[in-house]
Amino acid sequence: MVSIKTSYTKLQEMLGKDVSIDELGNLLAFAKSEIDDYVEEEDMLVIDIKTSNRPDLWCAEGMVREINGILGKENKIPIYEIEPSDFKVVVDPKLASSRPYIACAIAKNISLTDYHIKQLMQLAEKIDQSYGRKRKRSSIGMYNLSMIKSPIEYKVIDASHEFIPLGHEEKMKLPQILEEHEKGQEFGDIVKGYDHYPILLSADGITLSLPPVINSNDVGRITEETTECLIEVTGTNYETVNVILNILCQTMVDHGSKIYSVEIEYPKEIRDKNDINPNLEIEEIAIDIDVLNKYLGTNISMKDATELVEKRRFNGVSQSKSILTVAIPPYRKDILHWVDIAEEIAIAMDLNKMGATKWKVLTAGSILPETESENIVRDILLGTGGIELLTFTLTDPDILMENVNLEDRKLVKIENPVSKTYSVLRDQIFPLLINVFSKNTHETYPQSIFEVGEVVKITKKSVITQTNAAFFHADADASFEDAHKWLEFLLKLLRTSYKIEKLEHPSFTEGRCGKIIINQKECGIIGEIAPNVLEKNQIWIPVVGFEIELPLIPSLECKVKETY
Amino acid sequence: MSEPEKHISLPIEAVEIYKILNKKKKISIKEIEEATKLDRGKLEYFLDFLISNDLVSRLPIVSHLMSLTKEGREAAEKQLIERRIVEVLRKNKDVLFANLSELMGCDKKEMNAGIGLLKKKDLIKIEKGTISLAEQDTDINADLQGILEDFLANKEVDTKEFEAILLERNLIELIEVKDTILEILTFYEEVKSRIKQTSEISRLTPEMIRNGSWKDVKLKEYNLGVSPPVFYGGRKQPYAHFLDWVKRKLIGLGFHEMRGPLVELEFWNFDALFQAQDHSAREWSDVYRVANPKQGKLPKKDYVSLVQKVHEDGYDTGSKGWRYKWSPEKSARLVLRAHGTSVSARTLVDLPVPSKYFSISRCYRPDAVDATHLAEFNQVEGIVTDPSITFRDLLGILTTFAVDVAETENFVFKPDYYPFTEPSVELSVNDPIMGSVEFGGAGIFRPEVTRPFGIETPVIAWGLGIDRLFMIKHGITDIRELFSHKLEWLRTAEMS
Repeated sequence: MVSIKTSYTKLQEMLGKDVSIDELGNLLAFAKSEIDDYVEEEDMLVIDIKTSNRPDLWCAEGMVREINGILGKENKIPIYEIEPSDFKVVVDPKLASSRPYIACAIAKNISLTDYHIKQLMQLAEKIDQSYGRKRKRSSIGMYNLSMIKSPIEYKVIDASHEFIPLGHEEKMKLPQILEEHEKGQEFGDIVKGYDHYPILLSADGITLSLPPVINSNDVGRITEETTECLIEVTGTNYETVNVILNILCQTMVDHGSKIYSVEIEYPKEIRDKNDINPNLEIEEIAIDIDVLNKYLGTNISMKDATELVEKRRFNGVSQSKSILTVAIPPYRKDILHWVDIAEEIAIAMDLNKMGATKWKVLTAGSILPETESENIVRDILLGTGGIELLTFTLTDPDILMENVNLEDRKLVKIENPVSKTYSVLRDQIFPLLINVFSKNTHETYPQSIFEVGEVVKITKKSVITQTNAAFFHADADASFEDAHKWLEFLLKLLRTSYKIEKLEHPSFTEGRCGKIIINQKECGIIGEIAPNVLEKNQIWIPVVGFEIELPLIPSLECKVKETY
Repeated sequence: MSEPEKHISLPIEAVEIYKILNKKKKISIKEIEEATKLDRGKLEYFLDFLISNDLVSRLPIVSHLMSLTKEGREAAEKQLIERRIVEVLRKNKDVLFANLSELMGCDKKEMNAGIGLLKKKDLIKIEKGTISLAEQDTDINADLQGILEDFLANKEVDTKEFEAILLERNLIELIEVKDTILEILTFYEEVKSRIKQTSEISRLTPEMIRNGSWKDVKLKEYNLGVSPPVFYGGRKQPYAHFLDWVKRKLIGLGFHEMRGPLVELEFWNFDALFQAQDHSAREWSDVYRVANPKQGKLPKKDYVSLVQKVHEDGYDTGSKGWRYKWSPEKSARLVLRAHGTSVSARTLVDLPVPSKYFSISRCYRPDAVDATHLAEFNQVEGIVTDPSITFRDLLGILTTFAVDVAETENFVFKPDYYPFTEPSVELSVNDPIMGSVEFGGAGIFRPEVTRPFGIETPVIAWGLGIDRLFMIKHGITDIRELFSHKLEWLRTAEMS
């Protein structure tokens, strides 16, 4: 999801009519967007766009393009003329291993207010962040054309090269920019991953930018006075840089600018021919209307289908028998398959007007035997007067180790936790129940709590998920006997014979703790929680209980789930 | 001549209470409690004898106490919001409206209320998003402020004139104080001769039943109006109980359950669902990765190489594919299940036709935990397949969910985006309180998802936001309460 801010007034101006916030919300739905917030005093709308593969929608212009189609004000692919210019970019073959592609165009006749500049910067930033994968895959630069001379060189340069980066007043050497400049710190790792510095230079040697990190301070600054600008996108994917350039050009055209082409001179190491940008070559895709009708459950004609795709700013270019060939606007690269066109047609029909059809797939419903088994255990434990708990499976390592006197062990730990509180998956449940007791010392006793829940373990061959049941009881006169009687109650009802063998366990009191054995297999633990564990957790009352692994109880049908 | 006078049967304790009342004439129930040292239940029991014989009357009284609310206390300590705004504006020139709440360190709603007040009295100007004082030496609502401060200092306050405004602004509240007064109706001396003290027993014993002595004694009557002792029984966790209900609903609709592991291969979480390996949802910030072991093993099955092909060139689906070199190492990385759809993906292997599946699965996202986000939550997801199924059937399934599970007729469909379905649709439910709530999502699995598993029929994938539904039903505003460890809530939460 991408979120943008824009002006309510300006959006209405672009739509050419007054719309209420509610109406606007309904219209934005057609552009897969919704209003997240409206701040009336600031005339500000915060709009969330749900698609991550449609960067053309990440600005007011893009949404309006879509909505005007739905409103019937415009249809088909928007077209504009491109005038030739004598500007050229020469690409260095050494860039083949790092950031080989560049797409470039010139926009003239631009008249940008401060608001428009901010909107344009917002679009560029959202595209860089999300579609450009934090500038790794692509990044956008815009420059004041009047300060640039052709041919522009996109080349590799020495670390000793220096220029004044945006927002600074002193010249800085390239490594210094990566270390000290705010943007260098944010995006410098991308350049450090190359074995050289990419640079964009004007024919007279003036630096335009160090892609994808930072523009130079003067050439790379767009202001309200700028009337002509150079737009450039560099990156690692040819299609990506070109579609982004097309989106930016279309947005500038929607503002009344004129677009001029730029020639890209590629060395054979990168591409076997030169490019003229922007490349508005139109891709086509065929869709079979009979197949489409079967897919959507509709009954639309070839003529309907053509009108509907044109409403969505595509062109219907040819029809033969049941096959419609559809032309895709050059600012969209998300159409991979005819099902993508099927969605466009469904949206144009309005999902709320298509008519939902009645349920017809008849099958017998059921829960899995393992869930049924878990429910049996839950019911028995409820019958003892236990309060059922749901605790987190992703938890704090202190709860699983330090708080219950246990050492570090083979646990599933998270490589990228947001906080330590949620950084390791539990391999057993009882430490979490001890934690719950420690949070409820002000509540009346006795307290009987239990959880039947999933735990995760690392085995020799795999990582497994299984269900355990833990039942614990806190009361002034709680003793091993209590835990034992409830375990007996549970296992008797489950027709399972068991033994308890002596066990020394750091969480439990010596001599009052045992392992539960079923069919010669150790499958759980029972005992009195050790006083020093109680003390650590500030629980001032005896606690006893047991935890048992359900897959090891033969009368149940609980299975271990292997990840691989 | 008066009628022959009847005896009045009273237990000894009731007579004692009667004597105390006789002396004091009028007394609150609390005072009697202290004087007799009886607990409330017993006291009420004995009082009933006196009241039913018209010896004593019982009058409930209600008085109102004025007290500062949380907001009131804050205003008393930190000044009223409008006074704080004035103060900030006096110190800072030309404050941007957008920055004001940050400068004030208060929330927007509160600030807007203050702004509204000042605007109404023309004490401030707002021009082009900049806000300033109309006159520098404003001393707004000084009297109100004084009253609040007196309140805080427990001084005698005369609020008459300001009571309405204090209540309206929620600065004070009226607390009802209930008490019971007992008053003597008939003096002890008048009926003394008619009182007969009785002895009653309070409990039937096994011996009394066996030896027949129950015939000679009277069992004390219970006061039926007395509150019973507190009791907490065993019960299901309310949210777990709700999830059981959802399961029963889905089973009733013909869905079969499926389950999967908590730790997942990226293959099932992403690749099988046609999410490109550089997709932003696979990044560090969007999915929890396992530190050790970092990698598992891919299944040794044909569908793995077909998934690879579908990513690289679209395989035989007619799709362009993602056109990059697919990496099996990346696909074998271990993550915590990020969505329930990975369980659906596993079910695609040897999927029976027709079939309907659901799962309720724990999922994980690296979000900072707050009132609206959890690092761990439940998703309800499923799939439906049949050779005849269409997109309009999918809308029908969502309609059923809205009507049967969310129990509302008030919903709309909105276009949506999922990387693995096309078309994709959101089910948006209109709640009278929460407004428009995203309750579900669905779509038809892309052919790039189903073809590697040899599936020829359309497969509908759907998901429901049941956490939100549970919260609405229980009036819960903080999502953390779903996994609450507060025993008080677990013991007393009412059934929905």
